[in-house]
Amino acid sequence: MQAIAKSRQAATVSGGNTHLLRDGLGLLLIIAAGAAGYWLFPDNLALLTRVIAVALLVLSIDLIVGYCGVATLGQATLYGAGAYAAGMACLRGVTEPMTLIVIGAAAGAMAGLVMGTIMLRAHGLAQLVLSIAIVQLAHEAANKASAYTGGSDGLAGFSPSPLFGTFEFDLWGRTAYLFGLALLVLVFILLKFVVASPFGMLCRGIKEDPVRIRSMGAFVFPVLLKMFIISGAVAGMGGALAAISTQVVGLDSVSFELSANSLVMLVLGGLGSLYGALIGTVIFMGFEHFVSAINPFHWMTMVGALLIAVVLVAPGGLSGLIDRALPGMRDKGGQRP
Amino acid sequence: MSGRKLLCAAIGALLAGSVAASADTIKVGIIGPFSGPFALQGKNFQAGVEAYMALNGKSVKGHDIEVIYRDLPAANPQQSRALAQELVVKDKVQYLGGVYFTPDAMAITPLLTQANTPLVIFNAATSAIMTQSPLVVRTSFTTAQTTTPLGKIAVERGIKKVITAVSDYGPGIDAEVAFKKAFEAAGGQVVESVRMPLNTNDFSPIMQRVRDSKADAVFAFLPSGPTTLGFVKAYNETGLKQAGIKFLAPGDLTQESDLPALGDGALGLLTTFHYAVSHDSPENKKFVEAAAKAVGGIDQLSFPAVGAFDGMHVIYKMIEATDGKQDAQKAVNAVKGLAWTSPRGPVSIDSETRHITENIYLREVAKGADGKTYNKEIQTFPNQKDPGLPTP
Repeated sequence: MQAIAKSRQAATVSGGNTHLLRDGLGLLLIIAAGAAGYWLFPDNLALLTRVIAVALLVLSIDLIVGYCGVATLGQATLYGAGAYAAGMACLRGVTEPMTLIVIGAAAGAMAGLVMGTIMLRAHGLAQLVLSIAIVQLAHEAANKASAYTGGSDGLAGFSPSPLFGTFEFDLWGRTAYLFGLALLVLVFILLKFVVASPFGMLCRGIKEDPVRIRSMGAFVFPVLLKMFIISGAVAGMGGALAAISTQVVGLDSVSFELSANSLVMLVLGGLGSLYGALIGTVIFMGFEHFVSAINPFHWMTMVGALLIAVVLVAPGGLSGLIDRALPGMRDKGGQRP
Repeated sequence: MSGRKLLCAAIGALLAGSVAASADTIKVGIIGPFSGPFALQGKNFQAGVEAYMALNGKSVKGHDIEVIYRDLPAANPQQSRALAQELVVKDKVQYLGGVYFTPDAMAITPLLTQANTPLVIFNAATSAIMTQSPLVVRTSFTTAQTTTPLGKIAVERGIKKVITAVSDYGPGIDAEVAFKKAFEAAGGQVVESVRMPLNTNDFSPIMQRVRDSKADAVFAFLPSGPTTLGFVKAYNETGLKQAGIKFLAPGDLTQESDLPALGDGALGLLTTFHYAVSHDSPENKKFVEAAAKAVGGIDQLSFPAVGAFDGMHVIYKMIEATDGKQDAQKAVNAVKGLAWTSPRGPVSIDSETRHITENIYLREVAKGADGKTYNKEIQTFPNQKDPGLPTP
């Protein structure tokens, strides 16, 4: 009896260690990849910054799709809320980049609260349809309110002040990229804590079996709503980063297309894993950029072929493929579908 | 992941090596929608560029010209900025051109001064772009520019009351405002203004409102393509045409590549625009021949091609003036006031606004000898500037 308890204890300790090791290693890899991007592609930093902004959006989708099992095709609503809030604030004199990120996060969180309240009333397919309706409504609202948003011409003419008063957001985009990378790493660490916390576990539990969680005495709705708000803040930060680095906010940032595309990136990388969200975004956008530069006229076919290949070879996404290749590093949380 | 990046870097190095081999090459980066739903417009950009290079050679004063195309399938300012940045920093282009959508142009303008690169816009048609940077030159048109003459024409043709029906987005509202201003200045009255959501497919309720308004004519603006098709069809089927209610619109609605789909239903539509493929001049004949070859058939040829053709003319003149050196301000200064005969007729670059001054033509959709419909130019309004820009 004692022996069993002991061995169990040993197992949990070693499990915790692999967890730590895995996360530390993962984080190092992200920073290394980010630095490699900076040194290897000094001429593509605007693209890489765009990848980071979208990566934040994909992470935010992962939080509610991958960890809570809530289907959504309207996540760009939250991203757009952050982008427009940052843009409008900047136009009205708040030009400090970090403040703008906070404003974007707040706007995204608020939009997440509203969107979550509506979407969580429904389940399954109805939920998905609701999310599409919400993003379309937000798109139309942004189009209609052209006095504030610039409508289909885009919100332009604002310029964020230099970071820390010295580093400008210029043509080469070094500031924007390093700023974005730091933001991404920070958000990633925070999210790692969130998904590993009891709250994160509860979310996963709800995803697996909401009825059981309910009968255990937990309230499902407030838990999911909380995740929606966190997800909104993350997406909002992505939007704000895009607004700061581009200095234009277009209607595309609240579009169904963006929502759908980022869901595709998530599926490509692997649902329910924060690494999957990052890998999916980098591979998808990198590949898209690569083939569209080679053949600007027929590159879509290549992207389609890649997607089909991944779905056939690695149904669990690319991160699932890595897990299979390195079984020792596999997360013992068992959250993968 | 790092393996992939290494591969990319290796290929990049290879490409860079092959380019460095030819010494004096001036690169021009063209951004446009080359795939997706607007691919035809992008193809017309390409056709215009290729036609110009076929007719005028691929070098200026001994400097070879190399064109690099980058795809931007739909309005996406963030991607637009990334593409422009890459073209300037990595591919070392000296000139940027193209740009179909307004927000995409807005995203590029803040880069130009630092990049020391002029931007020649082949299409994006909102007036305000020109005020964003002194290094922008535009060879297309603005919606206000093509629409304004229509107000006078309507009054001349005895139309007193008009109902406007436009798609509810930037260009639609521009068109509504420009028409209303010109029409009311000429003594007409706009009795009602309808703004239709962009995704409208069923136009019969709109047609009922047109009928109920007792207007003499309907002024319309919709994005070209399927929506226009649906609108014109509804106009015919609900009997408005038979009831004698006239149809007025800027020429985007009857662009040549849409005419076959519109069929006989389009006959008699009155539009104003800066270019018709049927324009009768030796310059246009040469252009149409070369561009139709590049685009893959005359049926595919449309107005973005002429914007690109003249855009290339401006870029060639810039290269000539700077003799291959990268000096954006000097290049732009050199084309201020530049006048030439374009396939669309006599044009010039306004030295104040850097926007093109051109003739606007009133056209009627008519049936040609070969049984195909075409835009027949019936009246000319010479040397129209953009009324949408604030006059200095």
